[in-house]
Amino acid sequence: MQIMTVSGFLAYVNETFKAIWDTTEVAIEGEVSGYRLSQGQWASFDLKDAEALVNVFLPVWKLNVPIQDGLRVRVFGCPRVYPKYGKFSFSAERIEIAGEGGLRKALALLHQKLEQEGLFDSARKRPLPRFPERIALIASRESAAYGDFIRILHERWGGLSIDLYHVLVQGEGAPVQIVRAIHEAGRGEYDALVLTRGGGSLEELMSFNDERVVRALFSSKIPTLVGIGHERDITMAEEVADVRGSTPTDCARRLVPDRTELLYALSHLQEGVSETFLAKMVEWTEQCDDVVLKASRWVATLSERITSMIRLFQSFDPRAVVKRGYAIVRDRSGKVRTSIKGMTTKDKLALEMRDGTIAVSVE
Amino acid sequence: MPSKKLDFGKSFTELEEIAEWFEKGEPDLDKGLEKFERAMELAQVLKERLKQAENKIKEIKLRHE
Repeated sequence: MQIMTVSGFLAYVNETFKAIWDTTEVAIEGEVSGYRLSQGQWASFDLKDAEALVNVFLPVWKLNVPIQDGLRVRVFGCPRVYPKYGKFSFSAERIEIAGEGGLRKALALLHQKLEQEGLFDSARKRPLPRFPERIALIASRESAAYGDFIRILHERWGGLSIDLYHVLVQGEGAPVQIVRAIHEAGRGEYDALVLTRGGGSLEELMSFNDERVVRALFSSKIPTLVGIGHERDITMAEEVADVRGSTPTDCARRLVPDRTELLYALSHLQEGVSETFLAKMVEWTEQCDDVVLKASRWVATLSERITSMIRLFQSFDPRAVVKRGYAIVRDRSGKVRTSIKGMTTKDKLALEMRDGTIAVSVE
Repeated sequence: MPSKKLDFGKSFTELEEIAEWFEKGEPDLDKGLEKFERAMELAQVLKERLKQAENKIKEIKLRHE
């Protein structure tokens, strides 16, 4: 007889499963029900058919397809009893969507859900800044897409500060890395966030259709620009982005202006200002001349008026009267006297005549 | 060397605004002179900035959670 502990027993069972189960060649096919995420790290659901049900769980980073209730899937992995609760479940390694066009159908469902939530609304799209300076770039440093993007940026513009968040852009763990990069970039001060990769099959582009990636892009405070190599299908990451580039090269073109074009625009502006200013100067000079002309006319009129006034004053000059035979009588104090009142004999007076003054006395 | 970093966008917009101001034909000689000088200065600085060829790339390591 052999006595085992409970832990020992379950460890034995789990090891046995591992030894006999082919995790790459055997899959269980069924319908997803009660799909949920816990703590953002674990995904679980019931896989069922008409008569039976088994619980499936897997770490979120291994999720490579959009799982939803009602979806038919094939699950690769290994049966396992969770020792703490003695619960039997299937620990998944990989999930495939079953049936022809299954993946497309799953994506269409996810698309519909996100669209209803307003994630793709064009009204919420923000423009990219005209002259960005700090850029967060999420890409694989080994990819051709990265090389193309950087090359075109260099060709067109300088003085940029680019922070590369190197990530896997396909396969296991890629969505989780991309989401983490988007979140980390969100803490920095960037003018734009760029996510790019080269083209690929629908399966290879699954990270860009991953609900978590799409939602992270949607929540980004930094304006987003997403571009993937030439493909027939547009991924949801591109759809949710503020701006979509058709290729990595196109992303670079949409992000920065071309220095040659801008130099031309600058020269055009400079010439425009110079020409208008010159024209203005001519106009102003003419206006000044006009003012001077008007002023000189005013001065002429004024001087005529002054001359006639002088003439008028001259006509009142008493000396002109004296010339005609009249005399001005002044008393001793030099005051002009026009009446005999108050005058007595012997009063001294002065007579001012045409050619001089003579003293006289009253008789 | 300029002591302050050039805000390309701001300066370019300012230049465009000056061009627009002249287009409108404001009749102010003093302001006009001042704006003309500012426009020429901006265009020069912006052209200099365009000669800058380097882009700096820095790789940021993702933190593990």
